[in-house]
Amino acid sequence: MSPIWWLRSRGAIPHIKSSTSRPQFIAFRYSPVPRTYATTNVPEDLYDVVIVGGGPAGLSLATSLRSSSVTSRLRVALIEGLDLGAGRKWKPSIENYSNRVSSLTPGSVGFLNDIGVWKHVQRNRVQAYHGMQVWDGVSGSRIEFNWDAKNSSTIAYMTENVNLVHGLLSRLEELGGAQLIDKTRVEGISFGEDRGTLDLRTWPVVQIAGGRKLVARLLVGADGANSPVRTFAGIESRGWDYGRHGAVATVKIEGMPGAERTAYQRFLPTGPIALLPLPGNLATLVWSTTPEIAAQLKKLSSVDFVAMVNGAFRLSHVDIAYMAKMDGRISEEYEWRQSVTPLDMAGVPSTILEVQENSVSSFPLKMRHADSYISERVALVGDAAHTVHPLAGQGLNQGIGDVQSLIKTLEAAVQAGQDIGSTLSLEPYCSDQYLRNSLMIGVVDKLHKLYGTASPPVVAVRSLGLRAVNAMEGLKSMIMKQAAGER
Amino acid sequence: MGSLVRSAIGRTGILRGFPRIVSASQFAPFTSPSRPPPNYEGHVPLTIPERGLLAMGSAVMSLLNPRRGDLIAALGEATATPYFIYRLRDVMLSSPTGRKILKDRPRINSATMSMERLRSLPDGTVGREYAAWLDKEGVSPDTRSQVRYIDDPECAYVMQRYRECHDFYHALTGLPIVVEGEIALKAFEFANTLIPMTGLSMFAVARLKPEERRRALTTYFPWAIRNGLQAKEVINIYWEEELETDVKELRKRIGLEKPPE
Repeated sequence: MSPIWWLRSRGAIPHIKSSTSRPQFIAFRYSPVPRTYATTNVPEDLYDVVIVGGGPAGLSLATSLRSSSVTSRLRVALIEGLDLGAGRKWKPSIENYSNRVSSLTPGSVGFLNDIGVWKHVQRNRVQAYHGMQVWDGVSGSRIEFNWDAKNSSTIAYMTENVNLVHGLLSRLEELGGAQLIDKTRVEGISFGEDRGTLDLRTWPVVQIAGGRKLVARLLVGADGANSPVRTFAGIESRGWDYGRHGAVATVKIEGMPGAERTAYQRFLPTGPIALLPLPGNLATLVWSTTPEIAAQLKKLSSVDFVAMVNGAFRLSHVDIAYMAKMDGRISEEYEWRQSVTPLDMAGVPSTILEVQENSVSSFPLKMRHADSYISERVALVGDAAHTVHPLAGQGLNQGIGDVQSLIKTLEAAVQAGQDIGSTLSLEPYCSDQYLRNSLMIGVVDKLHKLYGTASPPVVAVRSLGLRAVNAMEGLKSMIMKQAAGER
Repeated sequence: MGSLVRSAIGRTGILRGFPRIVSASQFAPFTSPSRPPPNYEGHVPLTIPERGLLAMGSAVMSLLNPRRGDLIAALGEATATPYFIYRLRDVMLSSPTGRKILKDRPRINSATMSMERLRSLPDGTVGREYAAWLDKEGVSPDTRSQVRYIDDPECAYVMQRYRECHDFYHALTGLPIVVEGEIALKAFEFANTLIPMTGLSMFAVARLKPEERRRALTTYFPWAIRNGLQAKEVINIYWEEELETDVKELRKRIGLEKPPE
């Protein structure tokens, strides 16, 4: 040590000591309020997180809260109107698949794996696919994402929703600790009152059937498109109805050799029709179409339904519109038309042979986006926050993305010792996820509109555009990365 | 294809003054070795430049000599794709009768249409009017040439059907047998079928005498365009099944006014 340093530091060090350590010491000694222990007098009805809704989004949030080492001390309750026992005791038969199937992106599966759910999902009922064929139903121009043996990356995993719910419930049971209140309706949500030592006037109180009340530090709405939690928070949800229905069914297709599987989607002017692979010779159908055609599909005989769907992938959109209005003998009409319609066999899915009994159903398609995902002590996830057209298969993935983002935000708040219900703590969730979802909803909405016409100039321009994108490998792989949910 | 254009151009004498070598190099693209096999009997697949040349050549030549039915037919085929013939096919696919025609693919010729029988039908029926028109013109149903330059077999049939039904349109509309009447019928067909050749035929007005032209433009054209647009598509009439129908009744059914005298 040089003498100069010594001289300088001698003057400085005592000064620092006196200014920092003394006041701290005083604060400990003269603390006016006796120290209390927060855990001793917490009322029974007080929860850190109350989740309304036991669908995939709500259950993933409960599971991730329990599985994270940071948030596992939080008191969590989940309220669901339906019987969760059905999902818990799910015993599927090998031949039958549910018609409610979602395509989980590698990003979503990665998260489910991280929170320990994926190992509880029955993997033999999950079908991964590596190729995708998307084409214009008017001009026939297409974009291909081919399966490549060398560089095979999974595009998505087709998973029955009930399989995922079963996996989530099994994992929750394994973790324990979360209070699941099922078969119970939410009767009302209001604010709490001032309890003297505990001022709950900004805290939501959920009243459930049987008169029980749950007070929530953070209330999470995972309660679907008509979310009561969103209504309570006064958050407006905007958007429009597409005037289209999504018809779904489980179908049996002609066998394909090899392990590679491809998803097919054809954009008809009435809406896109998609066939996505399931294990074995099964596939799941999602056909977005007019309510009239959707209603017709539900009434058709099995033979005519199969002809209609095969036709929808092979025939001209004019033929499909005509056949949808026929009173029967659609299969004869299909036989004639497919014999005179030129077709590239490599670009269409293998022939559908039969439809699984009672698997045809439909639901109206909407676009909705809440103005915000958060307000004081409220957060929205999944369909409560947004509803998207199913053409990109992103609905459930967005819900899982919400949970992924929200849990990250809550972990940060807990680690920083913040109140997890305050908008300040929740803000990162909203800013992170809102833009991401906005982009996806917007792109999907524009695609629906762009392909919802057979007008020749529009068809010419969009076909040229699609061919150009198809030729650009770099852009294609960028789209795939986006669709795969990479974060 | 080569032979038709070659013979057509040859007959006009345009190339007579040129040395042989020039014409040989000009026709070299027409003998493309990569020409795909025909899609149907009599089909001649064309490349895009070939199609363009055929359209331009046949347009110019048929304007110079409107009696060249073969060139008008070639013009019709060369300009019907892309889009127009597919649109007309889709019109047929949207109608039950149109679909029936496409399924049966009936042909109109002297073997399928017995002129004896048509002449014996009562006055005012579609068949009788049709026969009367053919007799007046001195032609038979066999004079319509085979479609060759449309690639899709079904669309080729639609073009064939349009062509073979042309004489029925005369019987249906009852336009007078003067040159303005023929041009007015083309205008009606254009508004009704959107086949570009029928629209290009409007240039024939340029060849009319001033008096005829005035009559065509002020009397027949407004009728033709209005009726072509408001009437149902005439391509969807199954003529073989309407032979005994009264012309007036058929006109009423498809929403057609009587043409001006």
